[in-house]
Amino acid sequence: MTTGTPLIEAREVHLSFGPTPALRGASLAVAAGEVVAVMGPSGSGKSTLLHCLAGILIPDDGEIYFDGRRTDLLGETERSGLRRDRFGFVFQFGQLVPELTTEENIALPLLLSGVRRSAALAQARGWLERLELDGLQQRRSGELSGGQAQRVALGRGLVAQPTVLFADEPTGSLDSLTGERMMELLSAAVREQGTTVVLVTHEPRVAAYADREVMVRDGRISMSGVVV
Amino acid sequence: MIRLGLRLTVTGGREAIGRLVLIVIAVAVGVALLLATVAGLNAVHRQNDRYAWLETGYPGAGASVDQGSAAKQGETTLWWRLRADYFHGSVIGRVDLAAAGPAAPVPPGMAKLPRPGQFYASPALARLLRRTPADQLADRYPGTLAGIIGTAALPSPDELIIVIGHPAAELSGQPGVRPVSRISTTTPGDCTGDCALGVGTNANGLTLILSVVAAALLFPVLILVGGATRLSAARREQRFAAIRLVGATPGQIAVIAVVESLVATVIGIAGGLGLFFAIRPATAQIPFTGERFFVADLALNPADLLIVVLGLPVAAAVVAWLALRRVTISPLGVSRRVALRPPSPWRLLPLLAGIAELAYFAYLRDIGARSHTNTTVEALVFLAGVLLVMAGLVSAGPWFTMLASRLVVRHANRPATLIAARRLADNPQAGFRAVSGLVLAVFIGTCASGIITTIVADNGGTTRFDTAAAATLIDTLAGPEQPTFKAVPAATTSALTAVPGVTGVALIHQASLPGTVPGPAYLPPPVEDLVSCTELARVPALGHCPAGAAAVVINPDFGGFGNRATISRITWHSAPCSAAQLQDLPVASVVVGTASAVAVERARTVLDLALPNEYAAQTIGELRADDARLLDDYRRLAEVVILTSLPIAGCSLAVSVAGGLIERQRPFSQLRLSGTPLRVLRHIVGLEAAAPMLVTAAVSIGAGLLAAQLFLRAQLGETLQPLGVEYYLVIAAGLLASMAVMASILPLLNRLTGPEIARNE
Repeated sequence: MTTGTPLIEAREVHLSFGPTPALRGASLAVAAGEVVAVMGPSGSGKSTLLHCLAGILIPDDGEIYFDGRRTDLLGETERSGLRRDRFGFVFQFGQLVPELTTEENIALPLLLSGVRRSAALAQARGWLERLELDGLQQRRSGELSGGQAQRVALGRGLVAQPTVLFADEPTGSLDSLTGERMMELLSAAVREQGTTVVLVTHEPRVAAYADREVMVRDGRISMSGVVV
Repeated sequence: MIRLGLRLTVTGGREAIGRLVLIVIAVAVGVALLLATVAGLNAVHRQNDRYAWLETGYPGAGASVDQGSAAKQGETTLWWRLRADYFHGSVIGRVDLAAAGPAAPVPPGMAKLPRPGQFYASPALARLLRRTPADQLADRYPGTLAGIIGTAALPSPDELIIVIGHPAAELSGQPGVRPVSRISTTTPGDCTGDCALGVGTNANGLTLILSVVAAALLFPVLILVGGATRLSAARREQRFAAIRLVGATPGQIAVIAVVESLVATVIGIAGGLGLFFAIRPATAQIPFTGERFFVADLALNPADLLIVVLGLPVAAAVVAWLALRRVTISPLGVSRRVALRPPSPWRLLPLLAGIAELAYFAYLRDIGARSHTNTTVEALVFLAGVLLVMAGLVSAGPWFTMLASRLVVRHANRPATLIAARRLADNPQAGFRAVSGLVLAVFIGTCASGIITTIVADNGGTTRFDTAAAATLIDTLAGPEQPTFKAVPAATTSALTAVPGVTGVALIHQASLPGTVPGPAYLPPPVEDLVSCTELARVPALGHCPAGAAAVVINPDFGGFGNRATISRITWHSAPCSAAQLQDLPVASVVVGTASAVAVERARTVLDLALPNEYAAQTIGELRADDARLLDDYRRLAEVVILTSLPIAGCSLAVSVAGGLIERQRPFSQLRLSGTPLRVLRHIVGLEAAAPMLVTAAVSIGAGLLAAQLFLRAQLGETLQPLGVEYYLVIAAGLLASMAVMASILPLLNRLTGPEIARNE
């Protein structure tokens, strides 16, 4: 459990996919600015928990809070707005729009929020250097390596300065060295911005970048502890 | 491998089934349209075959007519006269006949010849006779209805035909009556030389035009089928790579691919046959030739069926095999053999060459280097130029698409516009492919409409002439086979003026005037038409006299293309004779002014009974409509092409967009999951589909109008007139139908990008 006031919280969340239970009373509270790693074996329910926290899935039972407000009671439009304006996302792979260039992919959340293209691209370019993507601004996703594509996705997840970044296996498709570099950049960026992070991973080396890690087993939080 | 191919195709999961269904639908639509077009061509010939008997008595139709000497020798078995009658603008084919001997041949559709005092009528005419007051129609036909003419003699279900029996002695001496020994079996298309006027169609010319129509329709259909088979090709190829990984040879992969295509094509052909028979009654209503068809006319020959049933699967198998050759499927994955290169500006050359050719001939006309018009060679040169422009549009399309989308990319502020424009700029060939069929259809339709509208408008128009002209009846008495009418009986004039609604009667006389330049000796001396100003004032539709004139020289070219103004506005030159002098001159025609359509028919009946002659009385409107009928048929055909091909292009676009959606399922679903509203994704998809269609339609319309203008300048020295509302309505209806087809894929977007997809992909 977190010691501060939780920014985002799941309380006794239950969710089943058909007859298969994915979450069975999972509870998790994340404080503002905290980086939490959600670990667990495949099929344990860790991604489902992330999707519930992010308002992508609605639990069958239990409550989800963000910034003191119950999000599981909101309609799809309001939850979409929340995801667009307050949250950022990084997934395992296949996140970039293939037609867009690197800088346009990073600028996409700003463009969606109505920022003018020139301003959005200027902001996106600021992230190119931070994410070691100099010189790649005009490349398409097909012309990027896996690590470069993930860094573009990270830039896209952070460019709009979200309150919470949800990262689901962000290094899952990368080799260990590239994955570590990715996590270093992620960690540096979120700490600089003060972004809260919910990070789903099954790799202890990735979880080591978090302030705290929680273990999910059979749809419940089985263990929580501060990363040393 | 064949069994594995079948297993993968039929039970390969939802995606495989979805793909199969889409290809089947595309093939079914394509096959149905193909069969409908082939059946349409057959129907034109069948319809024309049933016109053959109306060519009886014309030398151009072969030996059905007896020459004078033969008639004298007693070989004539039938006296025969065909002429056109009219009723409210519709043509009635009237055959007057009389048996000249016991072996008189019987026309098709009748059990026996009508006896004197009897007539046979087509079903449509019999209905019309029943519901129309006799003084407007039935009184023109002596006798009683003896029977209904059967389908064998009816080109169309709406055909108005009457066959009237007469005593031989009475009919044989009348103008235009011919002695015949047999009923013609020569169709109007095969008739050469002296043939019945206005009967049937030039089937060979129509076949050529329908072939162009078939090409204009089939091109979008092939694009649609091709697009459907490429749907989710990437996933299919990945699956093939997985099969290669476990040891399948490239040959075995080819077998699986061919089996997949064959299954879809065979089911599609079956569906297409069903669809064809379902749409056949509706297709029969489309009057390609100006008349609708009997449903049975839209029949398929065994050869047509065999080509479709065997040819299409073979073509599909070859296409599948060729598609596979463009990628290398190794056990480790798939790689494209051909890298996509942006289209080069060289693609503009055919278009520029076509426009230059058309413009060159227009320029020659403008500087006076050419003044003659309409030779066959010039028509062919123009056709070549048009074909070059068509090829040029297809060739230059991707380049234009690339240029336009790059321009949009540079200035796009909204993400939907940016993504859609980038996609088009990345692969303009694919973006344009889906609408290339539309380019041709809209180009042909616009060019044809532009030319026809201008020609019709320059000649007073088929519908734009004033109502007085529509209500003014002309009975032409002069003609090559006509006896000269020295005078019209006063009783006839009185009978005409007594008809309620008749406003005036004028007699047009013929005379050789002093000062008329005589022609060569072998030609009859030239004559002028004259009318008294008192009578002309009663029929204002024929124009006016100058002040003080007693009679004028009139040139009543009522329907001809030479008459470029509405006659009613003309003030004729005065004639050097008095009104009294005209009474001694032979009558060329009787003109009756009326105030209503009913009065027209009553007056026509009076004229028909009082002055029986070779030609039936016609209104000025009917005369002009006769001349413009063929042009109107072609214009209708152009509209059918536009209306049909636009929704097909819409289907192609829908398939292409659906394919793009499947390719980008993961990033799109993750965008949505990140809070991107569905409407933004809809906007992207809508733009990707609608933008190429609208831009291409605009370019095609522009090119069509330009080609029409250049043709009109070069061939007729005319300037393109604004197109009618009907054309714009057809274009708008076609575009709306296409948009509706494309809109049908939007629910797919919601399903393809739902949160479950992002989670499970």
